[in-house]
Amino acid sequence: MDNFQFSSIEKIILTLSTLTCLGSFSYEVWRRFKIVLKGRESLPFDQFGKRCWRVVREVLFHEKVMSGRFWPGLMHGLVFWGFLVFGLITINHFATGFGVPLLSSSFHHAYSYFGIPFAILVLIGIIALAYRRFITRPKYLGKTSPTSGLVAVFIAILMLTYIFGEWDLSPLVWKINWWLHTSVILGFLWLVPRSKHLHLVLAPVNIFFKPFILPDHTPVEIDLEASEEELDNMLASLTKMTMNQALDVFSCVECGRCTEVCPANRGGGILDPKNHFMLDLRDPLMETGDVDVLAQLNVEAGWECTTCQACTDVCPVGNNVEKSDEIRRLEVLVEGKVPQEYQKLFNNLQESGNTEGAFSSPLADSLPRYNSEMEYVLWLGCFARYGLDPDFENSVRSFTKILDAAKVSYGVLEKEHCSGDPANRLGDKLTFSMLRGHNVKELGGAKKVVTLCPHCAVNLGSEYAKYGEINYKVEHHTQVIERLLNEDKIIVEKGEKGKVTFHDPCNLSRMMDEVDAPRKAITSVTNDFMELEESGRKTLCCGAGGGLWWKKETKGRTHLVRAEQVVESGADTVVTGCNFCYGMMKQGLGALTPDDRSAINVKDVADIVAENMITS
Amino acid sequence: MNICVLIKQVPGSEAQFNVSGDGSWIQETELPYEMNESDNYALEEALQIREQKGAGEVVIVSLGPDRCQKVIREALAKGADRAIHINADAPYNTDPYSIASALANAVKDERFDLVLSGLQSDDLGFGQTGVILGEMLGMTTATLVVGTEVQEGKIKVKRELEAGWFQWQTMDLPASLAIQSGLNTPRYPSLKGIMTAKKKEIKKLNFVDICNVDELQSFAGLSVQHAEKQTEMIEGNIDQIVNRLVDVFKNEIRIN
Ligand code: SF4
Ligand code: SF4
Repeated sequence: MDNFQFSSIEKIILTLSTLTCLGSFSYEVWRRFKIVLKGRESLPFDQFGKRCWRVVREVLFHEKVMSGRFWPGLMHGLVFWGFLVFGLITINHFATGFGVPLLSSSFHHAYSYFGIPFAILVLIGIIALAYRRFITRPKYLGKTSPTSGLVAVFIAILMLTYIFGEWDLSPLVWKINWWLHTSVILGFLWLVPRSKHLHLVLAPVNIFFKPFILPDHTPVEIDLEASEEELDNMLASLTKMTMNQALDVFSCVECGRCTEVCPANRGGGILDPKNHFMLDLRDPLMETGDVDVLAQLNVEAGWECTTCQACTDVCPVGNNVEKSDEIRRLEVLVEGKVPQEYQKLFNNLQESGNTEGAFSSPLADSLPRYNSEMEYVLWLGCFARYGLDPDFENSVRSFTKILDAAKVSYGVLEKEHCSGDPANRLGDKLTFSMLRGHNVKELGGAKKVVTLCPHCAVNLGSEYAKYGEINYKVEHHTQVIERLLNEDKIIVEKGEKGKVTFHDPCNLSRMMDEVDAPRKAITSVTNDFMELEESGRKTLCCGAGGGLWWKKETKGRTHLVRAEQVVESGADTVVTGCNFCYGMMKQGLGALTPDDRSAINVKDVADIVAENMITS
Repeated sequence: MNICVLIKQVPGSEAQFNVSGDGSWIQETELPYEMNESDNYALEEALQIREQKGAGEVVIVSLGPDRCQKVIREALAKGADRAIHINADAPYNTDPYSIASALANAVKDERFDLVLSGLQSDDLGFGQTGVILGEMLGMTTATLVVGTEVQEGKIKVKRELEAGWFQWQTMDLPASLAIQSGLNTPRYPSLKGIMTAKKKEIKKLNFVDICNVDELQSFAGLSVQHAEKQTEMIEGNIDQIVNRLVDVFKNEIRIN
């Protein structure tokens, strides 16, 4: 190949076209970065090592790309790893055109023993992906895009011309082949920033900056004593995206995984997070060149969201997909447009500090009152405290039975108010801040808090911490039970009858990242444990999250899809770790279980453990 | 167009009531309160009419103890311009005639084109105050209003009659309308509204100073009805069961 010479004309053409394409590429990327940089807050560099390791896992190893969609993910992996393998070859390819090849021809030849098989793998990958996109056409991919087709053809040509170029060719044929390869690479440079293929550049960056805390709703600090100007500034900020959010929109690869896992969408709602929460923002961002675009989100879609975070957790390019918080806070705080049932709920929260507008709780009155000698504050939450499902009282008693047996001291707060979960998730940040203020004071002396409600746990923990330091540690009761089992503080036997399965609550699995503790507890009392198809962090929401428990009329079947899966699983008992899931399961299962099957038991982790505890 | 909206604060609909010691009223401490439901719709209707007309004032008039400030602020936060609070403790707030006359006194110098009130209060449910006040102020009056349409010097209202029938009626202004729940979609106070409400005027009056009614209605006694569930297992052969069922339907539940 050393003897192939490029004429000056060729070099001029090559120089001009390379500069044009590189220039256009940089310009397009810069245009988008400029918009990102207008965003609120900053891009985080904390926990640097952890962030880098995540990039390695999710980019290099394709962890998220392959999880859930293994074969397409692997095919994508082949193409991606091909990009890395051919990086050096590509640089050398251009250098050759300028007459200064970097690699000796013997090295180039030796590399081809590795390069050619890899090129074949890339070909297999891209053909499989194109077959899926244009022949099988899974629904969640959405409309077939012509640029995807073009990219597939480009990649195929690149591989073929590479393989072809390794043959002994006549100078003319070699030259034609060389130029073909070159034009496709330049075409790529032109195309990438103008299409979803920009994820090639942005995904690694986006994954690096992705927040660690789920959900990543930014706090809304409300100071009722602030001046009018300060208030106006605060309200104006609510329509502005953060840097991270804007970066997400440009990184989205339109794979549709977020919509595929969305419980609202699967239940027949209109909500389609890929479009409503991501792509709908792309044009406004580009057209206005600014981040002040959140008011353009679809409001109806925003109210359907259960805030389950499945979309965010599944996204392969590291997007924080969910935007219901942005939509709802605008509707509540700026527009004052709130569905009537939620107005009632907010009024109850403001007037009585709980969701039900109640002034007494027989359950709370019957439990020990917390004092500073005690180890734990037992946080009940409105669901248990005011009997949103009266049977759940038994689960609380199961848990206190466990604590008593293990001689762990605990007490409830007399003036426990709602943790603020429904207000927070429904966008009423003012009511949330009132409740937070009250509870932080009540929890003043506490060191450890345990609760059966993961919604409360998330709010008392990571959500409150967004507004200021908290001095207590919040645990979910399954975590305490697991520890008591590990320390042999309670003794159980494997006495549970029938097939047992576990429904992971979103707040516990995705937001608290806890999937082992409940399993450890359940498998210590049964030999017959089975997983649901969607389990662990990939769980499907029961339909009650995001304040939807209080929604009066639901058009879709979001509240039934999960219960249906439990029925189909054939389990005799479904265990949950969340009072809302417990309530939803009980409501859904009764109606969905066929007549010829006996009723499916719904239990909390505390129930199943307490029932199989050996008390001395 | 200047509109007066009568707003009452009532115990929350899910609240647990206890009769006070002397049996004259309910125990008010520890009760959650809210804006009377139909008043909330009346307020929304007033705000919408004002928005349509683009001019005029919405003035809240509320009668009750200090705690009423909460619903007054809420109404101001939603967009009302100012308020008149007539301070009155039980039993002064239990008699529609004296309440109406106090209200009439309080607003006699105002020039309202419309007085909107909720159809009835969710606590006492007399459903009279708006109409009596309208009469006292020499206005035309209508109840059970489920739709309004302001015209030149007049207002066309849609009234709900029995059995799914409606009536359209054109009335002269000024008018006092008792509004039925459900005719619009009430808004929620925005943060901006809550902040600006703090600066709005609330004029304070005392019930005893402005009510010229000497004899107030009073409650002889208040009691909570205890509904008891009785379950009877009907046993025997089919004839006996059917006979007993018919007997229950006829003589105990009295289905004709
Ligand atoms: S947001 Fe993420 S999961 Fe959703 S379509 Fe875009 S890349 Fe795919
Ligand atoms: S948070 Fe859950 S319900 Fe909301 S858009 Fe994402 S997947 Fe759908």
